[in-house]
This record gives sequence, structure tokens and C-alpha cells, in this order.
Amino acid sequence: MTDPQLVARAQEGDLPAFEELVKKYQREIYGLAYRLVLDAEEAKDLTQQAFMQAFVHIKGFRQQAQFRTWLFRIAINQCYNYLKNKKKFGDPVDADNFVLVGKDSPEEDLIAQDERRRLYAALTRLPAKQRAVITLKLEQGLSYEEISRVLGGTAGAARVNYCQAIKTLKKYLKNEDEHEVAVRSYPKMVTRVSRR
Amino acid sequence: MKWRCALTQRWLPAYLDGDPPSFWRERLRSHLARCPACREELAELAEVVRRVKSTAVPEPEPRFWQNFNQELHLKLAQSVPAPPPSRVFKLPYLLGAPALALLLIWVAVGYLNPERSVLAPTPQMAKQERAIQERAAEKMVAKPRVTAPSPETTGVVAFVAQNGEEMSPDDDLTGLRGDLDSTLAGMTEQEKEAFLKRLRQHEKDGSCLRKISVIFWA
Ligand SMILES: [Zn+2]
Repeated sequence: MTDPQLVARAQEGDLPAFEELVKKYQREIYGLAYRLVLDAEEAKDLTQQAFMQAFVHIKGFRQQAQFRTWLFRIAINQCYNYLKNKKKFGDPVDADNFVLVGKDSPEEDLIAQDERRRLYAALTRLPAKQRAVITLKLEQGLSYEEISRVLGGTAGAARVNYCQAIKTLKKYLKNEDEHEVAVRSYPKMVTRVSRR
Repeated sequence: MKWRCALTQRWLPAYLDGDPPSFWRERLRSHLARCPACREELAELAEVVRRVKSTAVPEPEPRFWQNFNQELHLKLAQSVPAPPPSRVFKLPYLLGAPALALLLIWVAVGYLNPERSVLAPTPQMAKQERAIQERAAEKMVAKPRVTAPSPETTGVVAFVAQNGEEMSPDDDLTGLRGDLDSTLAGMTEQEKEAFLKRLRQHEKDGSCLRKISVIFWA
């Protein structure tokens, strides 16, 4: 069944139809939430909350719009609210959490794990809106027009935001890489000394 | 950095993406062809994009999605929206119960009190009552009428002769409230008898003249 058909059924209170939409988009929404809040458990909760919000408000959804982008908008608003509260209560995002998540696959080599950790550390320093625009563009593959429908504003503004976000991320990644080099060189020297 | 390089580098991420502003597309291409610094910047940005794309969000275990769907199902089932109360119908709906209770009380009182023969006043009766009230008000203002025989006295006669098409019985009787004695004094025995019979009938009906007749008989 197509999205418009499932949405029409869900609008009449058909829960199984809505759950089909959930299964179709849960991974994307979870990925988006994960990139925004950088926490697996929170991302799960926020994804569920986003779907609940969508279900409650689905009657107000106009079929001309794209269900997927509408869902993204709901999820991003949930994440923004979460981050706003988190900031208010002084609980900063901790980039070290991500290393633990990566341990799910033991064969993943150490270099990849390092790269993941540095990327998340750099992403953490970006404003949430820049994280959102990078994720929507690079992972969800949205056009600037679609991004503007999710985040508000114009397609031109979405393009400017994206360019700015990538350039800022490049700067932060460079910082992380330099920091990594400094940290790595120190324990190597210590091991060399201890072996002698 | 040259101003042209600064302008070019501003749009390089969108150029990489294949979707720069159309005005800049050709200009970016030609500048990159002859500027090594901007080409290097482009390569570094491409590396950032590659790192983001290659470092996907870790896919949770299958059990994660099982739990996710079970939990969400329960939450959704609890929040299945009841048909939203329409604002137009909400108020009458809320007023329905008290209105029904009032109706029942009214009907019950009517049946338990058979003396009150009037369960539902006909429009004509309602009109008569209004007329009574209006006339009473008039009398309060026009004091001389209280004692002097008034034009309504002729109405009494008309009523007694069962000929009151325009003037209703109640009108006449009420109109005489202040000067019964003087009215009776001006009547023949036959007229008096008919008049008093009518008053008694009203007393039985429990009409508004009950008090007057009690006073009269006393
Ligand atoms: Zn240049």
C-alpha cells in the first residue's frame, strides 16, 4: 500500500495501517534522532514520541504534503525540545557514549572506531540545527527544498545552512584529529619507555 | 585569501552535492579549474562528507526493534483518539442530562398533583395570563378604576351571559378584584348567582382567583 493510502486509513483511526507506516520509517527517524541527541536510549524514546505525536495529529495532515518530511519535522521538534531541556538542566551531550555503541560489532577495527568517536565529538560541538541539516542532506538524502519543508525557511536558506554546517564540521574535525594525534603519540612514548 | 576564493569556498559544499545556486555553477567550475587552493579546500570538504556518510548510525540489534514496536504498540493503543468532541454539539450534550431531569420532575409533579389540571398551558391560556398581568399593571397606574364601576363591569355581564368572545372570563374576574361588593350590589339575583357559581368553579380549578374567593366567602 502507498503512503497516501496508509495515511488515509490511519486518519480514520486504523492502528495497523499506522503501524505499517511506523515500520517503514522507524529506522530513518531513529537515525535522525540519534544524530541529533547523540544517545541511543534517548533516540529510541524520542522516536516513539515522534510517532505518537504523528498518530495523534494525523487527522490534521494534508495529503498534498509528503508524509515522510512531515514525520521528520515532528521528530526534529521533539529532539529540539529534548535538547533545550537538557541544556536548561545543565546535562551536556557526552561524546564518549558513542564508543560504547560501536562495540556492538567486535570485528569493527580500531581505526573505524576512532573515526566514529572523532566524528561524533565534532558533531557534538555543532549547533543542533546544523546537525539536523547535515543529517537530512547526507543521510536522508533530502533536497534543499525538502529540508526547507522540514526545518522551515526557504530552500536557499537551507543551502546556506548546509554549506556553513559542513565548513564548521570540517573545522571541528580538524581539531579532533589534531587532538587525537597528540593523545596517541603520548601513550606510544610511554610504552616504548616501559618496554626497555 | 582572494575575494574570489572566499566567494567560491562559500558554496563548495553545495557544489560537491551537485546543487549550487545556478548563478554560481559555471563560475565555481571555472574558478576551481585555475585555483589550486580552492581545489584543496574542495578535497577536504569531500573528505568530511565521506566521513559523515561512512560513519552511519549503528544499527541496533533486532531485539531492539522488537521491543520498540511492542512498546510503541501499547502506547498507540492507549492513545487511540476517541472521536473528538465537536464544539458545536458539546454544550447541548452537557445540558441534556439536567434538561431531561427537569422535564421528568415537571411531568411527575403534574401527574402527582391532579388538581393542577393544566399540564401544558395552551397558547391561548398563556395569552390570557399575559393579558391579566398587563391589565393588573394598568389598574395599578389608573387608580380611579379601583373604586368606580369600570367599563369592565359590562364585560362581567357579557361573561355571565356566556357571550365573552373578546373578553376572557379570567380577565373579567380579575378586573373586579378591587370592587367586588360594588359590582355585586349592581346585579340582579340571577346575575349574582351565575357570577358566584363561576367564582366557585374557578376555585375548584385552582386558578389564580383562589385567594380572592376565599376572602369573599369569609
Ligand atoms: Zn580560489
